[in-house]
Amino acid sequence: MKQQPIVQFKHTTKIIGRKTIVNDLNFDVLAGEVFGFLGPNGAGKTTTIRMMVGLIKISRGDILINGHSIASQFEQAIRHVGGIVENPDLYKYLTGYQNLKHYARMVPGISKKRINEIVEQVGLKERIHDKVSSYSLGMRQRLGIAQALLHRPALLILDEPTNGLDPAGIRELRNNLKELAHQEGVAVFVSSHLLSEMQLMCDKIAVLQKGKLVSIENVQAFISKDSISRVYLEVEASQTELTKMLIADLNKTAIAGSGPNELWIQMNKDEVPELNKLLLENGVRVLSIHVQERTLEDKFLEMMEEEQ
Amino acid sequence: MIGLISNEMMKIVNRKLTWIILFLLIAITAGSFVMNKLTEEPVSDWRAEQSELIERYQGQLEIDELSPQMHADTENKLQIANYRLENDIAPVSENPWSALLRFSGLIEMVIIFAIVIAADVVSREYTSGTIKLLLIRPHSRSKILFSKYISVAVFALCMLAIVFVTGYGVSAMFYGFGNLDTTDLFLNAGGEVTEMNVFLQTVKMYGLSFLPILSYVTLSFAISTILRNSALAVGISLFIMIVGNSIIEATSRISWLKYLPFANSDISLYIFHLPARPEMTLGFSLTVLAVYIAVFAGLSWMVFKKRDTA
Repeated sequence: MKQQPIVQFKHTTKIIGRKTIVNDLNFDVLAGEVFGFLGPNGAGKTTTIRMMVGLIKISRGDILINGHSIASQFEQAIRHVGGIVENPDLYKYLTGYQNLKHYARMVPGISKKRINEIVEQVGLKERIHDKVSSYSLGMRQRLGIAQALLHRPALLILDEPTNGLDPAGIRELRNNLKELAHQEGVAVFVSSHLLSEMQLMCDKIAVLQKGKLVSIENVQAFISKDSISRVYLEVEASQTELTKMLIADLNKTAIAGSGPNELWIQMNKDEVPELNKLLLENGVRVLSIHVQERTLEDKFLEMMEEEQ
Repeated sequence: MIGLISNEMMKIVNRKLTWIILFLLIAITAGSFVMNKLTEEPVSDWRAEQSELIERYQGQLEIDELSPQMHADTENKLQIANYRLENDIAPVSENPWSALLRFSGLIEMVIIFAIVIAADVVSREYTSGTIKLLLIRPHSRSKILFSKYISVAVFALCMLAIVFVTGYGVSAMFYGFGNLDTTDLFLNAGGEVTEMNVFLQTVKMYGLSFLPILSYVTLSFAISTILRNSALAVGISLFIMIVGNSIIEATSRISWLKYLPFANSDISLYIFHLPARPEMTLGFSLTVLAVYIAVFAGLSWMVFKKRDTA
């Protein structure tokens, strides 16, 4: 599938009062990818999403969706967008079905059949004719996703979509989003604080901090780039001191673990065989050695610390 | 556009508040007509009754503290009563149209309920957060606001129709269906006693009252759109409506008050020839109201279109 850009940020900036909330964003979101949007609280994630859907004005620059400017060609641009902004706030005094009918009426060409199809897809068939006020948060989230997908958008924007879903629901959502992106070519734009979830879900990760884009990469490259891993080592208790000295020869520092014979070492993964060899040659009896793989969370926190 | 309006209608109709309001509307209307019937005293000799009334009116006119409005009203009634005796025209027998004309106060109830509905229709989307999902659809904000305004206006019109039909229905049970050709004595715009068709006067009063209703609806709608707070919208609109009634009196003394909406928002004043100032005409009042409607609607449109939705 040819990966054409669905969203194009062009020097997108938002200034409120004298404060620059979002500062000169320039990147594309491609068709067929799940795009993770990360950042600590107050980094400007929600502001960016609100600009993408035209809820707030862009101070400088523009955002193009399928080539249409959200600022000057709002109706053409937004036609291709489905989404949830913040919470899935739906009409609680209407039934789930009435809610979907409401949104279906706002876009031409959505049949009853399509509504029923989407209801089935998000697994709300049993409860769709109940009032939304009786729904759990997870069910509201599902209904929110149903209204977002109703008109087959080219861009799906989800703000914290895993909120309120149980583990099975999260997994289902993850698979659905991947399928939407990879099979149907939808660009899926997800923001979340659940980093482990983002690692499993996303193809690409962009990190926003203080309104600026600090990184944008494929998720695997993002995690492993210039990475220093933590290596766990377990030796005979009597040999702990000797081991520490040998590690010091490698210009590394060993930190004591929870047991007397456990050590943690910060080093690159490809240096592990060397360490192993050195220990063996000096007669250290290695009980256990393994590299702890880094997670998106480690990388993210590390990056945030660097930026501070 | 039709889709947007049916959405807004669906949202109004599916609310409990709407049904409570409709129930109250029908119950109060029916109740007023029933109470009126129960307290009615049969008239055996209309001439004796009119003479009695004339004496009472004359007595009232001698009281100094009578407000200008009351004074004018009593004078009008006196004039009609005298005219009846001089020309030997009996008061019209009870019929649904005359009954509806007497209950012009019910229109104020429609205004109050319409204010409540109008105050909610925009601000509720903000307080419940649903405004976000509403605005990210391929429709301009102007169209979305307009569909809301139209829906509230249509609902207010329905309430006015319900009052009219309920009132007619209840009176018809007591007085029969009434004759469309029934005439009665009214004062025309020049203050002369004239025979007029009662049905047409009724239709004129209720029909034209839609404009004052719409002006309060627009006011409440505008406040609720601008401040995003329905309680304030109801409060301010009701306050203005209540203060407005006392301003009608003041208008007779202070000339520029006639340009405020208050002295223009009671159409029954023209049906019973009680303009707040002699130079005020029905056309003047309707024009003033139309200008206010345009201003309030324009204000809410400008704010709604530009605002960042946080």
